[in-house]
Amino acid sequence: MIELRSLTRRYADRVAVDDLSLSVATGELLVLVGGSGSGKTTTLRLVNRLIEPTSGSVWIDGFDTHAEPAPMLRRRIGYCFQQVGLFPHLSVGQNVAITPTLLGWNAAEVAARVDELLARVALDPAAYRDRRPDALSGGEAQRVGLARALAARPRLMLLDEPFGALDPLTRENLQQAFTSIRRELNLTGIFVTHDMAEALLLGDRIAVLHAGRLVQVGTPSELLRAPADERVAELLRTPRRQAEALDALLGPSAQQ
Amino acid sequence: MREQLLLLPGYLTAHLQLSLAALCASALLAIPLGITVHRRPALEPALLGAASAIQTIPGLALLAVMVPLFAGVGALLAGGGISVRGIGAWPALVALTLYGLLPIVRNTVTGLAGVDPAVREAARGVGMTPTEELWRVELPLALPVIIAGVRTAAVWIVGTATLATPIGATSLGNYIFSGLATRNNAAVLVGCLAAAALALGLDQLIRMLEAGIRARRRAWWGAAVALLGALALYAGATAAIRAGRTAPAIAIGAKPFTEQYVLAEILRQQIEARTGIATRGVPSLGSTVAFDALSAGDLDAYVDYSGTIWATIMHRGDPGERRGALLAEVEQFLAREHGIAVAGALGFENSYALAMRADRARELGLSRISDLARRAPELEIGGDYEFFARAEWRALVAAYGLAFRAQRAMDPSLLYTAVRERQVDAISAYSTDGRIAALGLTVLDDDRRVIPPYDAIVLASARLAHEHPEVIAALRELAGAIDAAAMRRMNAAVDADGRSPADVAREFLERK
Repeated sequence: MIELRSLTRRYADRVAVDDLSLSVATGELLVLVGGSGSGKTTTLRLVNRLIEPTSGSVWIDGFDTHAEPAPMLRRRIGYCFQQVGLFPHLSVGQNVAITPTLLGWNAAEVAARVDELLARVALDPAAYRDRRPDALSGGEAQRVGLARALAARPRLMLLDEPFGALDPLTRENLQQAFTSIRRELNLTGIFVTHDMAEALLLGDRIAVLHAGRLVQVGTPSELLRAPADERVAELLRTPRRQAEALDALLGPSAQQ
Repeated sequence: MREQLLLLPGYLTAHLQLSLAALCASALLAIPLGITVHRRPALEPALLGAASAIQTIPGLALLAVMVPLFAGVGALLAGGGISVRGIGAWPALVALTLYGLLPIVRNTVTGLAGVDPAVREAARGVGMTPTEELWRVELPLALPVIIAGVRTAAVWIVGTATLATPIGATSLGNYIFSGLATRNNAAVLVGCLAAAALALGLDQLIRMLEAGIRARRRAWWGAAVALLGALALYAGATAAIRAGRTAPAIAIGAKPFTEQYVLAEILRQQIEARTGIATRGVPSLGSTVAFDALSAGDLDAYVDYSGTIWATIMHRGDPGERRGALLAEVEQFLAREHGIAVAGALGFENSYALAMRADRARELGLSRISDLARRAPELEIGGDYEFFARAEWRALVAAYGLAFRAQRAMDPSLLYTAVRERQVDAISAYSTDGRIAALGLTVLDDDRRVIPPYDAIVLASARLAHEHPEVIAALRELAGAIDAAAMRRMNAAVDADGRSPADVAREFLERK
């Protein structure tokens, strides 16, 4: 369970996150949506303290995240982002092994965990373990990124547009893989995206941000049924409009 | 050539030791400095500025300032019972270390700044502390760039180390300085080729290391590390062996011209023959470096000239007394101010003189410096590096009103060639130089007696006079033993006949 309490992050010229309070239940995936500059990425990075808040706090399972050093906190939280950031001088296996290694797991335990995770993200351990990151496709790299984030058995995942740079087919594959993994492991997560369709498909609940403030939070059906304002309504209409346009295109042939 | 090649192992080893030690010290200082700059960008202008400023100092000057600096530190530490030598390998090591800083600091900063921000983000995201991020991610990724900086520094250091000779550190520069001074082109060639080969060899080894790391080929970088390690081991072992067996030998200095090499050999052979005490030569020292080293006790004896002491140490511009009186005044000054003993005058003068091609002097109708002064505005004069900065040049200018169309400072060994080839009309010459007669030069008469007398005198350090009076006695036997003609003959034997200074000195002592 994650609680954001009156979280605020100010910069010299603007307020990125403004008095934001939210909570995510254990096993739940909360998707943050909003336009550019709405504060969704800043909010995510405030949770694992890649950014420190100006005021307010984040609590995880009843403990203030400031009770321990930031690197120790981050080892307990899986983190995935769009650019993946695999370490180019390490093999795929060493990349996946990094957090367990930092935590001091023994070598045999780490090796077993690496193979288990590669298999879980649908990469053959024997074929991929010793590859270099520069020999991977974009989709493979993000699978490895996901495996690296899951390596130290975090209860919590933070994902910042992890599938944003992938082709549609690969994206759909990974979305499904991620959903099955998080259900299986009962992971709690916060997922940032600007793709409304992805938000509706993946999220247990969706929080809409604008200018650093929370506009509305609720399940996809709650949002669809009763959007808080015109901005939310407009956001939700986008995927529907696209689906209708596609339907119109495909309609005649589908009826035959 | 054979004789020169026999010296190669010693010079090459000393050069390698000096260069590798300086390179390691540079890297050990520069990489942490680079990391500091990377972490605190506010420091970048100050630190990189300082490293760049050091780089703009010519290598020879940077090495030369280490001598008074070390002598000063030595004087401060002497009270604590620590002895620091003002000349030799230590000041050279410090200067070369400073010289190597810039490329390594700069490349460390560049290498660290070049790490992909996404990779940094990931390093923090997986829970690395700043130290773990540095060691596990930033340094490994910046390493090829850092090593490229080390490679640049290696080439600079090996090249600049040839300039360590004038401050008393043995290097391949010994070939170059003594070869230039005695017109021994074979020696100059051997020195230059060996230094170039060493620089290229190190460059290639470090390039292999860099390429191996970039390509992640263990065999490449492993081989490079093994070869570099073997070189370092050899340098370290030979240095340790030498340090272990160094007997306190008497150090005899020489400035970088033929006469000085011959006289240093005469001093050494005389001391060894009469007292059996071992000596060592410290060749090719800068003029004031030799004097500073002697007064600091890093050098035990060398030959200087009364007029040089008069003008450059005592800062007297006037021609002063005649020969005997000036000598007495110099002797008193040295004993009083520096505790230096004069172990006799050798019996000849080597004064500065102005010389011209005989045909040119005839053509212009010149025989005295007063005559030269009238034609000077149409003429060019060449002088050694010191000459135009010396008090006697200013005295000449003042007394005769000399104003040349141009004046060129050049290496003493090139002066005679320049006047022979008519590239300059007149030169500063030394009165004992064998080439005055050999090239048929005319020495212009100093008709107003401006140039002070330049008696060759043997200077001995206070330590030597105190601890080895028998050595002083042996040196005094040389008083009055060499006249100007004899000195000129010996100089010509080296310069024109290509004989070695040691050989010429041996012959002189046998005949005496």
